[in-house]
Amino acid sequence: MHPILADPRRLLWYELAWLAAGVGIATLLHLTGQAEWSGALEFALPICLVWSFVAVSSYYVCRSLPWSQRRWPVALGLFGGVSMLAALGWLGLGEAWDSLGGLLLRGKPFVALSSPGWMMYFAAGFALYLLSLLAHDVLVAFESVQAAARREAESRVLARDAELQMLRTQINPHFLFNSLNSISALTGFDPAAAREMTVDLAQFFRRTLALAERERITLGEEVTLCGHFLAIEKRRFGAKLQADLRVSAEAAACLLPPMTLQPLLENAIKHGIRQVDGGGTIAVDAGVRDGALHIAVVNPVAPDDAPANAHGVGLKNIHERLAVLYGPRARIVWQRSPTQFAIEIHLPVDKESGA
Amino acid sequence: MNSSQRLRALIVDDEDLARRLVREYLQGHDDVEIVGECDNGLDAVKQIGALSPDLVFLDIQMPRLTGLEVLELTGRRAGVIFTTAYDEHAIKAFELHAVDYLLKPFSKARFDDALARARTLHAPAAPAGAGLDALVARRTAPLERILIRDREQVHVIPIDQVECIEAQGDYLAIHAEGKCHLKPQRISEIEEQLDANRFLRVHRSFIISLAHLQAIERPGPDRHAARLRSGKRVPISRSGYEKLRTLV
Repeated sequence: MHPILADPRRLLWYELAWLAAGVGIATLLHLTGQAEWSGALEFALPICLVWSFVAVSSYYVCRSLPWSQRRWPVALGLFGGVSMLAALGWLGLGEAWDSLGGLLLRGKPFVALSSPGWMMYFAAGFALYLLSLLAHDVLVAFESVQAAARREAESRVLARDAELQMLRTQINPHFLFNSLNSISALTGFDPAAAREMTVDLAQFFRRTLALAERERITLGEEVTLCGHFLAIEKRRFGAKLQADLRVSAEAAACLLPPMTLQPLLENAIKHGIRQVDGGGTIAVDAGVRDGALHIAVVNPVAPDDAPANAHGVGLKNIHERLAVLYGPRARIVWQRSPTQFAIEIHLPVDKESGA
Repeated sequence: MNSSQRLRALIVDDEDLARRLVREYLQGHDDVEIVGECDNGLDAVKQIGALSPDLVFLDIQMPRLTGLEVLELTGRRAGVIFTTAYDEHAIKAFELHAVDYLLKPFSKARFDDALARARTLHAPAAPAGAGLDALVARRTAPLERILIRDREQVHVIPIDQVECIEAQGDYLAIHAEGKCHLKPQRISEIEEQLDANRFLRVHRSFIISLAHLQAIERPGPDRHAARLRSGKRVPISRSGYEKLRTLV
C-alpha cells in the first residue's frame, strides 16, 4: 500500500504542500504579468489538487530503483525522463482546464497564457514532479531503514526463544522429577546408591548450566556430561539400558555447540530403549575422518511402534540449530529400520586454537 | 475400617525403582495385598482384565500405552490412583474431574492420604467413579491413534491410517489399510474426540477422513457419495454434503 494514501495524516500534509505549490504557481503567473491574481488562483489550485494524485505514482518509480542496486546515471536518466513525461501530461491538463473549465465557469479562459507563460508552466510541472520523486525517494529510504530495524528486532526475539527452548530442554521436568523419585526409592534400601545418584544429578545440572553459557565445548566435555546423564538413566531403567561409547582421542578434542550429543541420547532412550521389551544398547561412535567430525548414535526401537511425531520434533530442533551455526557445512542424516534407529552428524573439524 | 476387607492392588510403572517405592510405602498397610506388577501399558490391560484388582497404581507416561489409554481399553472407572512425574495436561484434567493422583516424588504421608481415600471409595456404599468416566471420554487433545482390544490383543491404529468410521449397532467399524476393526463405542463420542480439520461426519452413520477422500460422486439427483482412495464408497447425507462443500 502507498505510504501516503494509506495514512490520513500524511495525506493531509501532502495535499497542503500541493496547495502551497498551487499558490506559488499562481503568484509566479501574476508577478510575471501572465495573468491576473484571481484567474491564476482558479487556474492553478484545482490543477495542483488533481495532479497531486498523479504525482503519488513517483513512489513506484522510486521503489523500482532500490538504493542498494542504484546506479546514478540510470537513476538520473529515469527520473529526468519520467519527469519530462509527467510535465507533458501536466501541460495537457493545464491547457484543457484553462479552456474548458474557464469556458464553463467564466465564459472565457482563466489565464490564456502566452507561449513563454506556458513554457514557464511546463517547467514548473517538470520541477514539481522531480521534487515529488525526490521526496518519495527519501520516504522509501526511511521505510526501508524502519523495516530493517523491525527485522533485526524480530531476529533478536527468535534468538532469545531458541535460547529459552534450549534451557527448557536441558532441564527436562520428566527427567528431573523421575530421577528424584528414583532417589526417594533408593534411600529405602540402598542409601549409598541414592547418594551416588544425587551426586550424578547435581553434576549433570551443574555442568549443563556451565556448558550452556559457552558457544563451543569439546566433544570430550560433552561426553563427560553424557556420562552423568547415562549413570542416572541406568539407575532408572536398570538392566534395560546399556550404553557403548566409543570416542577417539582426536574426536574428543574437537569443538562443537554444547548439548549436541545429549539430546540424541535422550531421544534414543525415550523413543527407543524405553519402548522395547528388555531394552538394549545405545551405541555411540565418534571419530574424525576425511577432515570431518562424525558422530553416530544407534539404538533399538520397538518394531510395531509407529514413528512418533515427538521424535521428529526433537530431531528437527537439532537440525535447525546446526544449520544456523554451520550452514551447509553440517550434515545430519537419520534412518529407521523396523528394529533400529540410526542418526549421524557430520561437522567440520574445529579445534581450540593452539591445540 | 473393616479388617476382613482386603484391598488387592496392582502396581503399574515402567521404572523398577518407582514400583519398588510403592511397594515399600504399602508395607505398613496390612489390609493391602499386592497381586501383581506391570512395566508397560499392554501388560497392564491384560492384568487388570485377569486379576480385576481393587486398586491400581497407574503411571501415565509408559511405553506402548499411556495410563489413560489403559483405562479406556479396560473400561475401568474406579479404584485408580495415578502416579506421574510431570504432565501438565493430565494434571489439569485430574483437578477438573477430582481424580486422585500422586506427583513423583511423593511423601509417605501423601501416599497414605490417597490410600485412605481409595479405601473409603472402595466401601460398598461408595459412588461410582463419575470423574474418571468424564476424564477418559473427554480428552483435551484430538485423538492421535485408535486403540482396539480384541480378546488378549490390543491393536493400535495411527489416526492417519483411518479412512472411514461406520456405526454398526453398538459398535464402530473402523476401516484402515484394507482391514476393518470393531470397537464398542458410539459414533457421536468418537466424532468429538477426532480432529475436526481432518475428519468429517458426512452421514448419520459415517465419518470420513478428508485425507482419504478422493472424489464426491452423484449417483442420482440429490444424492451424493464419497469415493475414498481405497475405492470404497460412503453415502453422504444432505447436511453432510453442505458441511463438505464448505470445507472442500
